[in-house]
Amino acid sequence: MQDNIICANHGIYVDHGGGPAKLSGKGELGVLGFEEEIGKIQAAIADFELGNTLNIALIAGPLGGKTTLLEEIERKNPGRVTKLGFPAVVRNKKEISLSPTSRRVVLLDDCHFLYMRKIGGFDAFYGFLDMISSRERLFISTWNLYSWNYLNEVFGLGKYFPVQVRIPALTQENLKTLILSGYGEGEIHFTEELESEKEPVVYLIKFPLPFALLGKKIDLLLPKINFPYLEKRFLKKEKEVSAGDRVFEKLYLESKGNPGVALRLWELGAGYPQARPEKIGGFSFEVELEYEEAFVLSLILSYQRLTRAEIAEMTGSDGEEKVNEAIFRLLHQKLIFIDGDAFCRVRPEALGSVVSYLEKLRLVW
Amino acid sequence: MADNVPRQEELSTLFGSIGIGTIVSMLLVLLFAFLLSRLLTLLLSKLSERTGWQRIKLKMLIPLLKFGIYGAAFYYIMANVLEISGQQLLILGGLFGAALGFGLKDLFSDFIGGIVITFEKPYQVGDKIRIGKYYGEVMDIGFRATKLVTPDDNLVSAPNGLIFTESVASANSGSSEMMVVIDLYIACDADASLAMKILREAVISSKYVYISEKRQVTLLQKAFPFYTRLRAKAYVNDLRYEFEFESDVHTRALEEFRKREIRVPELHYLEAFPEMKDFNFPELTSNKP
Repeated sequence: MQDNIICANHGIYVDHGGGPAKLSGKGELGVLGFEEEIGKIQAAIADFELGNTLNIALIAGPLGGKTTLLEEIERKNPGRVTKLGFPAVVRNKKEISLSPTSRRVVLLDDCHFLYMRKIGGFDAFYGFLDMISSRERLFISTWNLYSWNYLNEVFGLGKYFPVQVRIPALTQENLKTLILSGYGEGEIHFTEELESEKEPVVYLIKFPLPFALLGKKIDLLLPKINFPYLEKRFLKKEKEVSAGDRVFEKLYLESKGNPGVALRLWELGAGYPQARPEKIGGFSFEVELEYEEAFVLSLILSYQRLTRAEIAEMTGSDGEEKVNEAIFRLLHQKLIFIDGDAFCRVRPEALGSVVSYLEKLRLVW
Repeated sequence: MADNVPRQEELSTLFGSIGIGTIVSMLLVLLFAFLLSRLLTLLLSKLSERTGWQRIKLKMLIPLLKFGIYGAAFYYIMANVLEISGQQLLILGGLFGAALGFGLKDLFSDFIGGIVITFEKPYQVGDKIRIGKYYGEVMDIGFRATKLVTPDDNLVSAPNGLIFTESVASANSGSSEMMVVIDLYIACDADASLAMKILREAVISSKYVYISEKRQVTLLQKAFPFYTRLRAKAYVNDLRYEFEFESDVHTRALEEFRKREIRVPELHYLEAFPEMKDFNFPELTSNKP
């Protein structure tokens, strides 16, 4: 498990790189919000049994839930699948070879580790393309969105995967269910703001918007009409936006429905056992980097986790000193962190700003 | 002769009505137009530089704004400050024509060139162009001249009138990506297919490359009598990195050639063919097509 949220018998956890932060699980949830995608994948597996081989690619940005989805597929197809994960960059074709006893449906997790962005770094990837071209097995693979876009433009990877599933953002309701499932009923108290802070009929809310043109996330101030208040005032309805709803609205807007980011924002902002809306989110990162540093950041984003040595190998003649300098700058700007296994990762709360900045420089497509 | 009398009267009336106050008003309007144009140019330039690869879309507004502001100022002076009638305008036009004949022809040609460049857009602010003997990034399109910054960081003012007499090549025509042609040479007996693979991987793994459905990498190979030329045509993600991209691919590919023992052409064959010593090998001395 590398980056995703698990909602299964054992509860929910998200791995931010510093070890999975386990929340107390309370029951079986399955996978939230991915029913349509699961249906599509199950249909492709059924087609394969009828002789129609359509390889499947599950594509999502970091912390988007692709590993979770793959594990759900594994759970739904007991005894029919073989699962293979790539925990680090694959350097040798042999690492991807399948044993003859492998089942006919093969699940491949973190396929963005199948190449290195350097001369001679694509041999394992060529071997992989060769392997999946055989129609003897069905391959269901997960890819980081940015690596996928790169490989698709360069090698036409999409042609090898007729079924491409872009993992959607979770809805606000699903995020709420996901987060609260880690706690007992009534365990978390959502605290209203002070009376004087209650919104008037029309009030301004901050709408975090990744603005690719400027390469950063900006907070747009948008007017919002307090419908619940109006309903209560004029229609005598008692329904009111609760503090809880506002907490999850903010989580949803800040995370753009990315479950990993939402969980991280929850961890950072929500107190236990009391959660207040004003404590959630509000992160803003002013990214100012040299081109070399931005390239290092784009590699970390595209692979999700890389060691210094791997980065140095890919940046080539720049040398390890340059890489150390770049990593220092990225750490200093709080864009990345180094986990317990010495992998560099993008901070979940900085993900939106990082993506906007790199899109501005066209370092991710 | 009889017609000239009223014309002279018209002119006398026109120039006679221009007092100190009128001149000051005209200067104030022009100063306002100048300041407004400079301010907007500065703001747009600053803003566009923050937008990364999309800056050219914003910068293309700059010459349009300039012409708009000065056009409005000119109209305001004519209509409200000088209060020129249609007949007076015709007479002034005649005077202007005479002035052209007396030596302002080039200036007028540059001015018209500026208008053509602004509206027809053979190039825009931010483009990399070759006009006449100049090559560089367009920094500004003024009334008289286009300012280019050359790769050696020289600021060149190319008269706008050049577009009527010289062909203009825009390397990117409004996009921020542009094609870069990278040539490498290997010995005739070197493993060309391995060298091509290395060159391809050097291009696609470069931190400056941009690849999309419409912006693909093309590799070409051509055998010459004493060497083989490998050519990569690929797009750099931002035209400002044109030379860095070329250098990055060269450096890494040649390093790999050395590791994989792919020989590059050597000039020892000149000893075998001494009569060719004076021959100029343009392909070997230049990396540009």
